[in-house]
Amino acid sequence: MLDYLIAAMSPLNILLALLGVAAGTIIGSIPGLTATMAVAVLVPVTFAMSPDSALILLGAIYTGAIYGGAYAAILLNTPGTPSAIGTTFDGYPMAKKGDGDLAVSVACLSSLVGGMVGALALLLLAPPLAEAALAFGPVEYFWLAVFGLSLIAALSTGDFLKGLIGAGLGILIAMIGISETSAEVRFTFGSNTLLGGIETVSALIGLYCVPVLMELVARPERHLEQPEQSRGFRLPEAVAIMLREKVNLLRSSVIGTLVGALPGAGGSIAGLVAYSEARRTGRGEPAYGQGNPGGIVATESANNATVGGGFIPTLVLGIPGTPPDAVILGALLVQGVRTGPTLFSEGSSIVYTFIFGLFLATLLMLPVGLLIGRFAYRAIVQAPKAGLVPVVAFMTVIGSFAIRNSLADVGVMVVLGMIGWLATRRGFSVSPIVLGLILGRIAEEAFVQSWTIGDAMGNVAGQFFGRPLSMVIIALTLLSFIYPFMPRIRQIVTRQTPLEIAERVTASPAAIARDLVGIGVMAAVAATALVQSASLNPEAAVFPRTIAIAMLVFCALAALNAVVTRHVVEDRSDGSTPRRLAVPVAMAVGVMLVPVLGFACAGIVMGLALMVCAEHERRSAGSWALLAGGVAAIILAFTLGFREILSVPLPGGRLF
Amino acid sequence: MRKSIILAAALAAFTGTAQAQEFPPGPVDYVIPFGPGGESDVTARMQQPYFKALYDEELVVSYKPGGGGAVGWSQLNSMAADGSVIMGVNLPHIIVQPEQGNVGFTTDDIASVYWFHYTPDAIVVREDSPFQTLDDLIAAARETPRQVTFAGSGKGSANHLVQVKFDQLAGVETTYVAFKGTGAAVTAMLGGQVAAEWGYTTVGVGQEGKARLLAVATEERHPAFPDVPTFRELGYDIVSGAYRGIAVPSGASEETRQQVSDAIAAINRDEEFRQKMIDGGYALVDVPYGPEMDAFMAERSEEYIAAAKSAGVLN
Repeated sequence: MLDYLIAAMSPLNILLALLGVAAGTIIGSIPGLTATMAVAVLVPVTFAMSPDSALILLGAIYTGAIYGGAYAAILLNTPGTPSAIGTTFDGYPMAKKGDGDLAVSVACLSSLVGGMVGALALLLLAPPLAEAALAFGPVEYFWLAVFGLSLIAALSTGDFLKGLIGAGLGILIAMIGISETSAEVRFTFGSNTLLGGIETVSALIGLYCVPVLMELVARPERHLEQPEQSRGFRLPEAVAIMLREKVNLLRSSVIGTLVGALPGAGGSIAGLVAYSEARRTGRGEPAYGQGNPGGIVATESANNATVGGGFIPTLVLGIPGTPPDAVILGALLVQGVRTGPTLFSEGSSIVYTFIFGLFLATLLMLPVGLLIGRFAYRAIVQAPKAGLVPVVAFMTVIGSFAIRNSLADVGVMVVLGMIGWLATRRGFSVSPIVLGLILGRIAEEAFVQSWTIGDAMGNVAGQFFGRPLSMVIIALTLLSFIYPFMPRIRQIVTRQTPLEIAERVTASPAAIARDLVGIGVMAAVAATALVQSASLNPEAAVFPRTIAIAMLVFCALAALNAVVTRHVVEDRSDGSTPRRLAVPVAMAVGVMLVPVLGFACAGIVMGLALMVCAEHERRSAGSWALLAGGVAAIILAFTLGFREILSVPLPGGRLF
Repeated sequence: MRKSIILAAALAAFTGTAQAQEFPPGPVDYVIPFGPGGESDVTARMQQPYFKALYDEELVVSYKPGGGGAVGWSQLNSMAADGSVIMGVNLPHIIVQPEQGNVGFTTDDIASVYWFHYTPDAIVVREDSPFQTLDDLIAAARETPRQVTFAGSGKGSANHLVQVKFDQLAGVETTYVAFKGTGAAVTAMLGGQVAAEWGYTTVGVGQEGKARLLAVATEERHPAFPDVPTFRELGYDIVSGAYRGIAVPSGASEETRQQVSDAIAAINRDEEFRQKMIDGGYALVDVPYGPEMDAFMAERSEEYIAAAKSAGVLN
């Protein structure tokens, strides 16, 4: 064992791990550049290396990218990678309160612990955990997805019915395109663009980031409060939080390891499950969802634990645990390394060198992550709004392009951003929509599979409810669904008069009318899906039809609720609406200009337009020129970096 | 990249060879219409170094995933047709998908120039499965119709179509459960969620010691599995699998098509490449551009469409 440790610690490997973590962290921090892509870009480089160095480099990039996703989540409310969704729930509120630097440090320490627990499990428990993961069948995946959806109850700000409707919308969006498991083309309305379905990451970027940008330009105040003096890393505070949240930290790391070891679940679910559990058992102020650091601890430790956990089925079974693992597995096959049962049993040196390399990379994440994190925090806090908005907008554009090298995905991102903003205004929060989008696909596949197997065996009910493992998940799901309502249930049981109703403000007739329009639009979407699914084959139709019917019922209830209780949840924050609308318009025009002007030039046009929209003060001509030059330079640098270093085929157009 | 094209063109004009197109015109973009990590990606990566050795130009692999490949194929014909872009193509995908509805391309839109290998279909069971031979499985399927469940990758896919064909030939009724990708189907088989898997020989290589193959759909026994009988030996005329090949944009000249076809053929002839592919469980085929390609596509179309109709994925 010791010689493997020494092999992993060779100067070359340490250097590779350091470079890998740094590159991964930077790539992961850009919305749209996922861990999968970070790893895929580096694969050709590794062909020239020995297999163990290659694995260490890829593992380090993967680790860094998963952590880097936290920056954008905390500072911009936009998960840099899907596994950081949960980080936005409390990270962004913390940043809003001026504690962004603390949140970044907490994320770094949590990622470190999570990564260590995952790597330790990979070292000591890989073969038995891989066996255990196989006990998870389609039914269990179905219930796991439902468990993830139970977070809706907690995430729908103030209006549970609207949360459910939003989740339904998300699930229906996920159904668009060619369904590989039922061989049908669904809900594309004849458009070729929609054939490939809505890309999850670009949808995520649109739904989370575009509304943030729109709100940023609407008002003159700063994006995040600037601290009076430099406060360093605020490590003592962060360590104190770690110690206070130690149970949460360990539980989330274990959840991350276990969920990561499930092929077909992945980092985003691990973070959500851990967040859900942390929230259910969490005490203390402020509440979860309003800036409790426990939420960051849970998500970030869980998602970094999936790195080690995901390698368990990858190396033991030869089945990738997470999407980046699939890429690494492919690279190994080309190198001629046979993964699978024999790899561990033959005590192959590669495995152990790699695992120690993963420990090394995780440890290096502490200094690297803190330093890059502080830089990211400062850059975002200090940047003038008129510089921040165009740069972030360009990052979302280039990021959503790079996932599938598709301009159509960028268009979809902008449209979904607009939808997300409108939905938020009408009181449908974005998070349930995103949960539906991510979990809907897994839930559908697993549902149809379970149903097919149960039907063949003549025991559908037994298949869904009779398996011990699924009973456990169902019980946890019920707990998680009911928990947010516990205070109210307690009131009813003890026959107290509920206090909150007295405090409620009755909404004006205009507000109720607005609410009914919002609900009506949602109902129309559901009705369209219902009509369309009539012409699909039964396997393709059963899930969207069920969801559409449920959505219609919830819409009816929500409408009834609005009329009877005269209580309306909506967002009517002030600010300039023309400026807000200018954001999606400028982005859409930018996207349309890409084939003509080329990516960089169209980006600069879009960036300059957004710069003007975002500025509320007067500026001298010289200061405008300086700002414009800076924005253009950054956009140019991004374009060049993507083209030359990441070899993303950005369209060149006529100019550049 | 553009610079080198200009340079090559200038050089060609200078030396008076402009009428004969040079292949490759520079680095070649090899677009895989799936995400990284699958068999299409892995085999493309295997070809990479041999292409470089042959032409001293890079073969750059990139991905355009979505819709089970349809997103990439629907955009193929708008790409550069000078031989600087080639795309991976798969069977039965490019035959079955356009029949299911508007997927943005038709089979005839795709200028396939070479089929270079296939992953032969195989029935895979867990090491401790009660089925020792194919006959055991067939006997069980006769006794309890529908209750022998197969995991497989996708609907209307190679796995699904061969399941339908096998049921017909063996006169049994089994249940096919579609998973997204081979990895998920293998997981279900290893976990005992299903009785067996319609997979590929590559699964047998990856799961050595955990899973067994009952029969493989090759013409002759696969060199990596000398002890596993073929379906033909057992009396079922099944030679099938997921074929992978190369296509060029339809604007490509006859000459370019031929040159790309020759390039892939040359890689396929390399002994070291062949051994690597066989060790991985793949089976090499050589269907070059020209009459052979036309005959092969016609024969495959007929078979896949008939199978897809009886599988209920086509009306």
